[in-house]
Amino acid sequence: MEKQELIAKINEVLAEEFEVEIEDITPEANIKSTLMLDSLSLVDMVALIESEFGVKIKGTEVSSILTFEALYDFIYERLA
Amino acid sequence: MDKNPLYKGEGIKELIPQRAPIMMVDTFYDATSDEGFTGLTVSEENIFCKDGLFTEPGVIEHIAQSASAFAGYNAKANNLPTPIGFIGEVKKFKIAKLPKVNDTLKTNIKIISEVMNVSLLTAETKVNGELIASCQMKIFIKE
Repeated sequence: MEKQELIAKINEVLAEEFEVEIEDITPEANIKSTLMLDSLSLVDMVALIESEFGVKIKGTEVSSILTFEALYDFIYERLA
Repeated sequence: MDKNPLYKGEGIKELIPQRAPIMMVDTFYDATSDEGFTGLTVSEENIFCKDGLFTEPGVIEHIAQSASAFAGYNAKANNLPTPIGFIGEVKKFKIAKLPKVNDTLKTNIKIISEVMNVSLLTAETKVNGELIASCQMKIFIKE
């Protein structure tokens, strides 16, 4: 999958799951504030990424993924 | 789950912090890296029983304690103290029928994801091989 195609798919599944406007998901935006994630719902995002893309994010890794751009890069690198 | 259980009766106290009359797991059958298998035989004296049936809050508590037992089993394997967990969220709870007194619930807990001190899991509870309840649950583990 091309990176732009992957980004579009990530944005689509996140917007649908967390009920936000897809336009609000931009590369530099903060994931937690954009998706309105708290400590309980953060695990939902991790589970969603794993089920949709087969990419597991460890607890120690998730704290360093702050922006969508970092998330795109993380998933893309794992799928490469 | 047909082999001898790993923990049973009083031995369950090694895995979970709950004590009678709120203990809702009496058997820990087995575990893998991300799954645990537990059981509970419903007694007439169970505080969640009403009119001979084990009520919905009892089933949810049994599932939560099953997750707790699984966490306790893993902690014990790593020589750590029994963790204390709280139900953070219950989603997609479905119950087909209420177990009766003397029924044995057998529950399969599967960890879907863990982020920091929150675990997301799915649970399926069967009685005599029949699926009677399922849900998705988040457990917050106190550090």
